[in-house]
Amino acid sequence: MTEAVARQSEAVEAVDVAHAGRWPKETIVSLVAFCVLWQLASMVLPPFVAPSWARIGKSLADIATRPEFIAVTVGRVAIALVISFVIGMVVAMAMYRWDLVERYVMPLIKLLMAVPVLCWILFAVLWFKFREVRIAFILIVVCAPIFVIDVLDGMRGVSKDLRDMVRALRPTAGQFFWKLVLPGTVPAILTSWKVNLSLSIRVVTMAELVGATSGIGYALMQANETFSVADVFAWTVVLVLILMAAQVVVTWVERRLLVWRE
Amino acid sequence: MSVGALDASTDIHVRGLRKLYRQKGSGAAVVAIARLDFSIRRGEIVAIVGKTGCGKSTFFNILIGLEPPSDGRIEIGGLTPYGDFDRFRGHIGIIFQQDRLLPWRTLLDNVTLGLEIVGLDPAEQRARAERWLSRLGLDGFLRAFPNELSGGMRQRAALARAFAVNPEIMLADEAFGHLDEVTARQIRGQFFDMVRDEGKTAILVTHQLEEAIDTADRLLVFGKPATVLADLRLNAWSPADLPGLRARIQTTIQNNEPDPELGRPQEISR
Repeated sequence: MTEAVARQSEAVEAVDVAHAGRWPKETIVSLVAFCVLWQLASMVLPPFVAPSWARIGKSLADIATRPEFIAVTVGRVAIALVISFVIGMVVAMAMYRWDLVERYVMPLIKLLMAVPVLCWILFAVLWFKFREVRIAFILIVVCAPIFVIDVLDGMRGVSKDLRDMVRALRPTAGQFFWKLVLPGTVPAILTSWKVNLSLSIRVVTMAELVGATSGIGYALMQANETFSVADVFAWTVVLVLILMAAQVVVTWVERRLLVWRE
Repeated sequence: MSVGALDASTDIHVRGLRKLYRQKGSGAAVVAIARLDFSIRRGEIVAIVGKTGCGKSTFFNILIGLEPPSDGRIEIGGLTPYGDFDRFRGHIGIIFQQDRLLPWRTLLDNVTLGLEIVGLDPAEQRARAERWLSRLGLDGFLRAFPNELSGGMRQRAALARAFAVNPEIMLADEAFGHLDEVTARQIRGQFFDMVRDEGKTAILVTHQLEEAIDTADRLLVFGKPATVLADLRLNAWSPADLPGLRARIQTTIQNNEPDPELGRPQEISR
């Protein structure tokens, strides 16, 4: 076989990475089915159990006049997640670099992760005077350990074959980290962001139930106190939509950063 | 031109080299390398053959400085690859069994990796990487990611990565054994053409005797655990004698006994 023919045959084997985007048909069908079933349930059940979509829609229209509550909650989550991520990266890098740090710090991380969110909320109320500090503390103490564990696992998960290959090129410690370990950890970092986004949306509403005077958690508490079940449902829908929007953003980032995997 | 230069010659001297491992469970010692003593002159193309598990890859890892020996030493230009690890930056090119391309880098960026590490100017990195990829027939795939390419194309990119740094010594560890025969023959041919063109010292670790006899100037036959059973210059054998030689080497490996008539370990003074 001539070299040209061999090259041509190999080129034919080259994978075409073009991938067409498509509508998430199954997701739409299942969501529409759920909405229909909910509407049917609202016809036979009392409004405080299953309010109709008309009632929930009215509440959603009301929420639309108060977007600052959504903005406050989203802002709290975004700031706390960025701080948690920075802490998680720094601690994971230190643990990766120095075994001694891991031996002493890992037991504390595991301890933090074992404490229920409710306990953190109570501690925050006891320890901190300012509302925003309480909420940030709760979010960070819950999310940062997850970033630490996931990022460290990602760093350790870079294959030995690739490590040996790069080491054999004799990089400096910094080059080894920036050219191999960090890019090799990107998939784990993105997975951790997805997990923490979902977790933080749930935790922030709990944190806002205690002492906050703004945000979705506060609005939920108000709705509960006034027995406005439609409002509770409407805010729940808003929370789900926020989470879905955040996941769309992370998925978009993932597609951009992990284009090599497709 | 090479990036930096070793102080002395790049002859490779292996002296009383031994390697023992401790089994994790029992703690018992396992001998991977019994004793190795030989030298390789600058510009020689040497193949190392032996049974699977005879310590070839352990020797390879010590040679590239990823592992220390338990006893003895390897010296290259008066330096040891493990002890003087950083001094060998840009001086040893390696082709592994698998291509080991970084999946998140394009072919071009994979080839520039070694050049980034030695600190070459970015424009020169790119020019050199493009030149080597073009020489290996990959000029149409500079922006492709490894998972878009066949095994043969990826291994050629690995060759480009190793040669781009312009090292004095080129090492290949079972580098072509996983490819189909046609592709392996083609890439192996390219590898040895480039090694000879560039006047490099090359060490090929392989379990394929045919590959070793076809390509190398000199053959080291390893016993198990690693020791030199025979050390022969292949150009001293006429093509007519090669079938007999092949059978004799196979018998030597099978019996795990030295065959001094084939050739004794060659050492050169430093």
